[in-house]
Amino acid sequence: NVQPPEKPLQAEEWNRLRESFRSPEVFEEVMFNSMVRCNSPIDVAKSLLTHLAKSHGDIAYSLLVKYLALCVQQGQTSEIRDVYDIMKVRFKIIESGAYNLLIRGLSNSDQWRMALTLLEEVKKIMIPSRTNYESCIKAASRHQELNLAFELYHEMLTKDLVPTFDVLQALFDFSRGMKDAELQKELFGILLYLRENQIYPHKTFMWSIKLWFESIPGGNWRGHLTNIKDSGQCPVCKHQLEDSNLTEEEYSNLRERIIRDVIHGTDTFRKTSPQEFEAFQTFVENRLPFDIVIDGLNVSHMKPKKMHCENLFDAVNHLAKNNARLLVLGRKHMLSNSSNWKREVMKEMQNKADFFFAENISEDDAFLLYATLRSGKHCKFVTRDFLRDHKACLSDSRTRHLFRKWQRGHQIAISSSVDRKRLNFLPPFRYDCVVQTTGDTWHIPYKDTFDEKYSYEVPRKWLCIQQK
Amino acid sequence: MQSANMLLKKIVRSSVLPFAAQHGMKKDLLPLSRTLSLSLCLKQDNSCSPSEKLDLDAWKKVMKSGLQEVSETVPERKELSTLAAAREMVEMWRIAGRSVPENISEEQLKTFIECPSKSAKKKYLRFLHIKELSKKNDKRKMNEKRERRLETQQERASETDETKSNSFVCLWSKCMDRAYSWRAAQSMIFGQPLVFDMSYEEDMSIREVANTVRQLVLSEGCNRRSVDPFHLHFCNLQDDSLYCKEFIKHYREAWGKLLITATDQCYTEIFPKDKLVYLTADSPKVMKTFDHDKIYIIGSMVDKSIKTGVSLARAKRLGLETAALPLEKYLLWNSGAKNLTLDQMMHILLTLKDTGDWKKALEFVPKRKYCGFVNKPVHELRKTLNLINTLKLGKKHEEVRKQFAKNYSKKLMQK
Repeated sequence: NVQPPEKPLQAEEWNRLRESFRSPEVFEEVMFNSMVRCNSPIDVAKSLLTHLAKSHGDIAYSLLVKYLALCVQQGQTSEIRDVYDIMKVRFKIIESGAYNLLIRGLSNSDQWRMALTLLEEVKKIMIPSRTNYESCIKAASRHQELNLAFELYHEMLTKDLVPTFDVLQALFDFSRGMKDAELQKELFGILLYLRENQIYPHKTFMWSIKLWFESIPGGNWRGHLTNIKDSGQCPVCKHQLEDSNLTEEEYSNLRERIIRDVIHGTDTFRKTSPQEFEAFQTFVENRLPFDIVIDGLNVSHMKPKKMHCENLFDAVNHLAKNNARLLVLGRKHMLSNSSNWKREVMKEMQNKADFFFAENISEDDAFLLYATLRSGKHCKFVTRDFLRDHKACLSDSRTRHLFRKWQRGHQIAISSSVDRKRLNFLPPFRYDCVVQTTGDTWHIPYKDTFDEKYSYEVPRKWLCIQQK
Repeated sequence: MQSANMLLKKIVRSSVLPFAAQHGMKKDLLPLSRTLSLSLCLKQDNSCSPSEKLDLDAWKKVMKSGLQEVSETVPERKELSTLAAAREMVEMWRIAGRSVPENISEEQLKTFIECPSKSAKKKYLRFLHIKELSKKNDKRKMNEKRERRLETQQERASETDETKSNSFVCLWSKCMDRAYSWRAAQSMIFGQPLVFDMSYEEDMSIREVANTVRQLVLSEGCNRRSVDPFHLHFCNLQDDSLYCKEFIKHYREAWGKLLITATDQCYTEIFPKDKLVYLTADSPKVMKTFDHDKIYIIGSMVDKSIKTGVSLARAKRLGLETAALPLEKYLLWNSGAKNLTLDQMMHILLTLKDTGDWKKALEFVPKRKYCGFVNKPVHELRKTLNLINTLKLGKKHEEVRKQFAKNYSKKLMQK
C-alpha cells in the first residue's frame, strides 16, 4: 500500500515514485484508490492525471472514474462537470458506475438539475438504481420542487424499485409547514404505501412524520408516542385499533394459496402424499370446526427436562379449559409407547382433544395451516415456529402480506421463560399492527432502531396522531 | 496529418479495440511528450525548482484536444441495437475494471440480456470472466509444457540415440482402453446394476443440468476404470432432453458406443420394485451395509438452490425403499450439506462394493465437510465422554447429560 503525497508532484517525481513501486503497471490504480481512501486534496490527483496525460497522451477510463469518485467525495462540482464533459466526448457510452457517481455528486450541488438530465440518460440504457432515484428525489425536494420529487417517486414505484427510508423521510422533511392539499394527499399516499407493504418506519423517520403533521398550517394535528395495550385501545385517544381479520375474499384467497403453494407446491409428495392429505381432509371435514389447532411436536419440546408427552399434556389441559375444541397434530412415532411418549398419557389426551397423526416423514406444519384456515376466522393455532419457510413458499408478495397479517392475529405463541413452572401462552394480537387511519387519527407503529428486521417481530411502540 | 487523424477516428470509434492498443497507437502518434518529459527528468533530476508552476488542468486540455476533430465529425449518436448497446456496456464495464469477460459471443450476450435482474447479470458476467481466465491459464500452461517438451526432446536428440530393446510396443492407453471396455462389457452382462434417475430436468436450471452431466461423465469414467464396474443404467432419459444434449457435447460420437444402458424407461419398469433402493440424503433410513443384491438409485440432480425432499418425494411416489449414507455415524460432521456430488457417490459405492469398508469408502467425502472419523460407534464414544464427565463433575451432571443425549437422538429421529 502506498501513501498518497500531500502536495501536487512534478512529472519526474511521479516517475520516481512509480519506479520505486513494486508493480509499476498497477501503480496509478493503486495510487488513486488510496487517494480516495485518504481523501487526498484533488490537486494531488490532478497532478498525477496531468503527468499521465502528458506522458501517454491519454488517461484510462478506470482512472477517470476513480478521480470522479474523489471529486464526488469532496463535492467538487465544477470538476465533476469537467470529467463528465471529457467522458462524454471520449467514450461512446458511460457505464453505470460512473453515472452513479455523477448523479450522486451533482445532486448534492447547486447544479442538481444536471443530475436529472443524467437520470434521463441512464434510463436510455438501463433501469436506474434506487439510489439514483434517491439522489434526484432528495435534490428536488431540497430545492422545494416537491411536484418533481413526487413525479420521480411515482416513476420509481412503477419500475418496482423499493424506495429507501431516506427518500420517504426527505419527502416528509421538506414538506414541513406547507399548506397544499395536493401535497398532503401525496404524503398520506406514502403512509398508505407503508400500510400496504407492512413496512414500519424507524424512530427518526417517525419523528419526521410527527413533525410534518404538527406543522400543517391550520391542521391542528397533535402527535404522541405511546404503547398500545393488549386490548388494542390507544391510551392517548382511546381509539380502538383495527383488528387483524381478513375479509371473506382475502381469507378464501389465502386458504387456496396455502393449499396450492405450501401443501402441494411443485410436488405433493414433498411434504405429504395425496392419500395422506385426502385422509386428513376428510378427517378435518368430519370434525369441524376447531377452536385451537396445536402443533403437538413443537409444543412437546417446550420444557426439555420434562417428558415430551407431559409437556403436551400440560398444554392440552391448559387450552381445553373453556370447552374449546382442540385438534392436536402429531406424527405416528408418538404412538409407539417410548420413554418420551407414554401410552396412558396419550390415551388420556385423546379424550380431551382430536388427534391426527401424520407419517413420520410428512410435514405437520402444512396440516396445521390447513386445519386452522378451514375451521374459520375464529380458529387459532399454537406453535413456537415462526413459519417463515411456509411464508416463503407463497409465490407473490401480496399473499405473503396476507399470511403475515393472518398469522399475527391467529398464532398463540408460548413464552420461553424456563424458570416458571407453568406454561405461558401469549394470546395473538387483537389488533393489527400496521399503519392505520380513521381520517382524523393516524396510528403508526415504529421500530426503535433502524435494523430490527425479523419478519415476525412486530413493533410495540406507536405514534398516535389526532386532529383536534 | 490527415491520415493520422483518420486513424485516430477509427480507433476511437471502434472501442472494441483493446485499450492497450490505443495506448500504443497514441504513443506513436504523440512521441514528443513522452521523450520530452523523460529527458527533462534525466537532465534536471533533483534540481527541479519547487517554484516551477504545475499546470494542474493540463490533462483536461490533452484529453479534449486530441478529440476535438473527432467529436465534430461524429454525427449525433445513432440508436444502437440492444445487442450492440449491451456489448458496449460490457466493454465499458471491462475498462472500468469490473470482472467482465474480454470476449463475449452473440449467444452469451443474448443470455446476458435475458437475465432477469441486475444481480443476475453481474453474476453471469462474473461467471464468464472466470471461465475466460481459467481457459487462458490452461492455454498458457499448455504452451509452456509444449516448450519444455520440445527442449527435452532436443536434449535427448543430442544425446546418443541407442535403441532400447523392449518386448512391448508402446500402446499403453489403447490397451488399457480395451481392457476397461472388456470389463465394462462383462459388467453389462453380469454386473450389479446402478441406476441414475434422469427425471430432474425441470427441477434444475440450465447450468445445473450442465454440472450434472459433467459429474455423470466423471462417474462413468471412474466406474469404467474400476476393477469390478457397475452396470450403469441411465433411466428416464428422454431423447430430446437437455441431459442428452449435454452428454453429446461431452462424449461426441462416443455417446452411442458407451457400455452403459440408457433408456427412457423408468427403473420400476426394468427391475422388481422390492429390489430398488433410492439413495437420498433426506431419507429417514440410514444405510447399514452395502447389499450386493439390491439395485441402488441415484438422482441425477445438482441442487444449487435449496430444494429439500425432491428425490425423497420421487421415491415416495413410487413406493420405493430409501436410504441415506451413514455420514453422521462415521464422520464428525463439520459443515456443508449432506448431499454429495454424483462422482463422489460413485467412488463411495464402488469402494463399498469392493471392500465393504465404510471408513475407506467415506474417504471420498470432501475433507472440508467433516472434522474426522468416528473411530468407534457413537454410543461408545458418548459412554466414555459420560464417564469422564462423571469423574470430573460428579453425578448430577451425568443425569443432565443423559437427558440431553436422549433429546438429541430424538431430534435426529424426527428429522
